[in-house]
Amino acid sequence: MKIDLHPKEGLLVNAFLVLFFINAAQTGVGVIGLPRIVFLAAKHDSWISVFLGGLFTSFVLTMMVLMLKKYDSADLYGIQVDVFGKWIGNALNIFYMSYLSISFFVILMNYIEIVQVWIFPDLPTWQISLALILLTIYAVNGGIRIVVGVAFLSVVGTTWMTFILIVPMEYADPKNLLPLMNTDIKHILNGVYKTSLSLMGFELLMFLYPYVKDKKKVFLYSQIGNLITTFIFTAITMVCITFFAENGLARTIWPVLSMFKIVRLPNLERFEFIAVSFWMLIILPNMCCYLWAASKGFSRIIKWKQKKGIWIIGILAWGGSFFIKARYQMNELTDFVAHLGFLTAFCYPVLLSVLVLVKKWFQGRKQSSVEDS
Amino acid sequence: MFKRKLDTKQSEEKKPHRLNVDDLKSDLQSEIGDCMDLNFRTLKKNGKKILVCFLSSLIDKTSFDEYILLPIQQNTLDEWTTESLAQILPIAEISAANQLKEIVSSLIEGKAYIYIDGEPYGILANVGTTVERSLEKAETESLVYGPKISFTESLIGNLNIIRSNLKDPKLCMEDIVIGKRVKTPGKLVYVKDIADEDNISTFRQRINDLEYDYIPDTTVLGQLIEDNSWTIFPQIMSTELPDRITLSLMRGRVAVLMDRSPSAIYGPTPFLSFFESTEDVYMRWNMGLFLRMLRIISIFLSVLLTPAYVAVLTYHYEVIPSALLISLGQSRANVPFPPVIEALLLEFTIELLREAGARLPTKVGQTMGIVGGIVIGQAAVQAGFTSNILIIIIALSALGSFTSPSYLMGTAVRMLRFPIIILAGIWGGIGIMFSFCFIMIHLLRLTSIGRPYFMPIYPFRWKDLGYSIIKFPNQYLSHRPVTNRPIDKKIFPKQKGVEKKDVDE
Repeated sequence: MKIDLHPKEGLLVNAFLVLFFINAAQTGVGVIGLPRIVFLAAKHDSWISVFLGGLFTSFVLTMMVLMLKKYDSADLYGIQVDVFGKWIGNALNIFYMSYLSISFFVILMNYIEIVQVWIFPDLPTWQISLALILLTIYAVNGGIRIVVGVAFLSVVGTTWMTFILIVPMEYADPKNLLPLMNTDIKHILNGVYKTSLSLMGFELLMFLYPYVKDKKKVFLYSQIGNLITTFIFTAITMVCITFFAENGLARTIWPVLSMFKIVRLPNLERFEFIAVSFWMLIILPNMCCYLWAASKGFSRIIKWKQKKGIWIIGILAWGGSFFIKARYQMNELTDFVAHLGFLTAFCYPVLLSVLVLVKKWFQGRKQSSVEDS
Repeated sequence: MFKRKLDTKQSEEKKPHRLNVDDLKSDLQSEIGDCMDLNFRTLKKNGKKILVCFLSSLIDKTSFDEYILLPIQQNTLDEWTTESLAQILPIAEISAANQLKEIVSSLIEGKAYIYIDGEPYGILANVGTTVERSLEKAETESLVYGPKISFTESLIGNLNIIRSNLKDPKLCMEDIVIGKRVKTPGKLVYVKDIADEDNISTFRQRINDLEYDYIPDTTVLGQLIEDNSWTIFPQIMSTELPDRITLSLMRGRVAVLMDRSPSAIYGPTPFLSFFESTEDVYMRWNMGLFLRMLRIISIFLSVLLTPAYVAVLTYHYEVIPSALLISLGQSRANVPFPPVIEALLLEFTIELLREAGARLPTKVGQTMGIVGGIVIGQAAVQAGFTSNILIIIIALSALGSFTSPSYLMGTAVRMLRFPIIILAGIWGGIGIMFSFCFIMIHLLRLTSIGRPYFMPIYPFRWKDLGYSIIKFPNQYLSHRPVTNRPIDKKIFPKQKGVEKKDVDE
């Protein structure tokens, strides 16, 4: 397998689209439940946890870009083979592929669960999962440009939803945030850990990198994208803490949607119905990005056509949707992916980039010593 | 073996026709078939036979008499050869020919063939005439402001309009032949130092590669050379307004004109360019901006309103405030159908009205409107077929779809509504969102002449936003749209547009 990937000129995307890619890949189903999950760990200081989580992500992104810059134009599949050799590298590749596929599945199932709880309790899972998977396959079949395009339009098309936060702010009680920094550091760090599920998605940069036109600007735009996500998440958490009474937030599974309930326009009430439908546009780029990155593995590792990979993962995910029946199964699966994601998306890239940096440093020294002698 | 066969065939084709007036006559007769309008006229001069043949339906009788027969009859030359004959004919367009195939195809184009007995070749003289209508106002694209002239069926006339509108020495008009069996002449029009070479060659190559026997109109040609023929969205704009073509040419697009077709096609035309009217250019910029936003919003609402009604009334009646819900409930109380059927029925009726109005003669068409209005507006509600509110919604969305300057795009939008209504009836808001996501991905995947269809939104070109979705004042549009990749990028020096004078200077 070639380590570097040199796509055709027509397939490359502009560097500033990385901003939208990162933002769209991070914002997804996680954020609906984020305030509660963090609140359970870090209480009323949970917004600090979310913010710290964002900063931590930005550190991981920095390491990632440092690693990617050591190569000409490589993605994670190539780098792993380069660092660990053919066998271990490809084993890790297949592991990462399955992680991406499971993430794809979890996003899909979480959204379906929300739809079933909030709008259609009797809608069969297989119907809506089939529709969503086919939609994703249609997008991913168009290639990376379409995937990034979906991410871009999703961010542009859903920015207005952030402004809806103003409505619950009228009923908020800022005193809920006080006293500041009352929670001990252990709980805050636990909160940071809980944030990881919602912030996941930035690791896909390692797969997008070869397709970016101006690779020097990747660092800047990926950081901006992550910062925007961090600010939005922190704001949402803050509004949730101030809006709900203490016990209320702990008992509300999807606090963001519950907050939308109070939005009232002259000809529209119960805004959460629209919000849940609209959330499809937010999770669509998520699913597209994960499916694209996972199916890329098929063409990179075993030289199959990527189209085949897309269909295989899509059919597997659809088949999997038959097995999830109860809320507790969903919960367990989501928790599992959260743990897995913390390891594979946050810790592993840092480790890998340290390895790559050390390796390249040694190689550089060897070369210079050869040149000296 | 095959090669030898080919060779003999070629040499046969290259051979001149039989050099004898009577043989030539019978050959032509058998080649053209039982054409009753193939006429021969034989004159005798100094003992030499001169044969003139022509299709009487295609030539101009007076010019034939005046410029061919009269000079031959009145001249008293000693020696009649093809050269001397060519000297005395007062016609600009003459050429020599002796291939039977060439002569036949020229006769069909309206030329006359003059042959002197025994000469190695004869003369083709153009005395053809075509039936043309006079210049009229544009019918399908009506305007308040701007030039009203529209294309006619004559290629030469259309080229004349374009040339005189756009007196640019770099304006190129390339000859192309459209169709394989019936060869219709056409022109590929572009401005040489503005239009991107790739766009031009894509057009040229796609038209040359067509293996189609007969193409009646540019709109058919547009369908044949489109990137994706499955989608309902048109990817090549067709227009009957010459100023639309000239404006597009100056923005770096490429146009194709065809003989006997009253409309021209041009590309690349991304999705949003179907909502641009030339009027936006002629109006003051802020009015143009307002109209363009109005059009885009109305198209959006036209697709959204009826499905939203269906979704809300079928599944999500919680979203309607209680005050509104009462009046909605009252108006729907008499209606026996579920909202989906109700909406589909009424949409169908509106489509019927539109189609019937378009097919009928204008005088009857007005009656249609009145009858339809009464039937839909009054009787349907009183009979308990539909609710009042749905009528308002359907009327709004029908109006909205008519605001698109391109009739094709308006039809596409109206067709698009039906599947979305059905999906809204099945899955409510989720169904609507699903179809919107699908349309979004679909538009992202489409291309127009190889260029992304969703330009300038994706791939995002902020410089072009002033040309497509909104409109900037002219002093800020110092560049041609980047979307078309023009070679000469500047319209005027940027500095001049933004120069500002100090107070009292």
